[in-house]
Amino acid sequence: MAFIVGTLFFVVVVGVIDARLPWPRPRQPGQRS
Amino acid sequence: MVKARARQAPLWALMLASVWLDVVFVPLYLTGIETIARAPGTHGIYAAAIIHANYTHSLAGAALLAAIFGWVGAVAWGRRTGVVLGLVVLSHWVLDVVVHRADLPLLAGNGHLALLGFGLWRWPLASAMVELALVVAGGWLYWRAARAVSLAAQRSERFATLTGALVLIGGVAVLALDVSGVLG
Repeated sequence: MAFIVGTLFFVVVVGVIDARLPWPRPRQPGQRS
Repeated sequence: MVKARARQAPLWALMLASVWLDVVFVPLYLTGIETIARAPGTHGIYAAAIIHANYTHSLAGAALLAAIFGWVGAVAWGRRTGVVLGLVVLSHWVLDVVVHRADLPLLAGNGHLALLGFGLWRWPLASAMVELALVVAGGWLYWRAARAVSLAAQRSERFATLTGALVLIGGVAVLALDVSGVLG
């Protein structure tokens, strides 16, 4: 059960909040560098 | 920890990659294809399992699941991120070898090959301390990287610090739930 709670917390809650930070965007496939 | 070095990889995908073997294990467990047994002489939930999971937790199975996850990641976010995600999936198996009793096969049909596992779980307190150290180190590295990208973008570091605190507190709380067995 802790596994399910932990997975949902980090994938959904922390994932959404983390996405608001100005991390560099992953390069899209086919995108020129 | 990986997010601090591979900053382009979405955190949610990294977190999902780290538990991908267990996520795939769940439906196989519910259908009785893979099982869990209690290790003799253990009490409670934490560090008490012996798994029979030849598909999801054999080295070959883990490598296949890592390749699939990495391929999807590469399609979505590029080759470098895909490789990182695949390696994170595989790292689950490597860390399992450290903690599990000898129940991890090399192949799905392992035959007479040895089962692997150094068995740190035989000492639950030591295992929990190692996990706690990893959670604290991961939280600190994440906060440091989040703060650095925020300052580089000329944004307040406050949000990065709040997110870092959430990662650290969440990690410690989930570990506490796991060790105490409160949720079963």
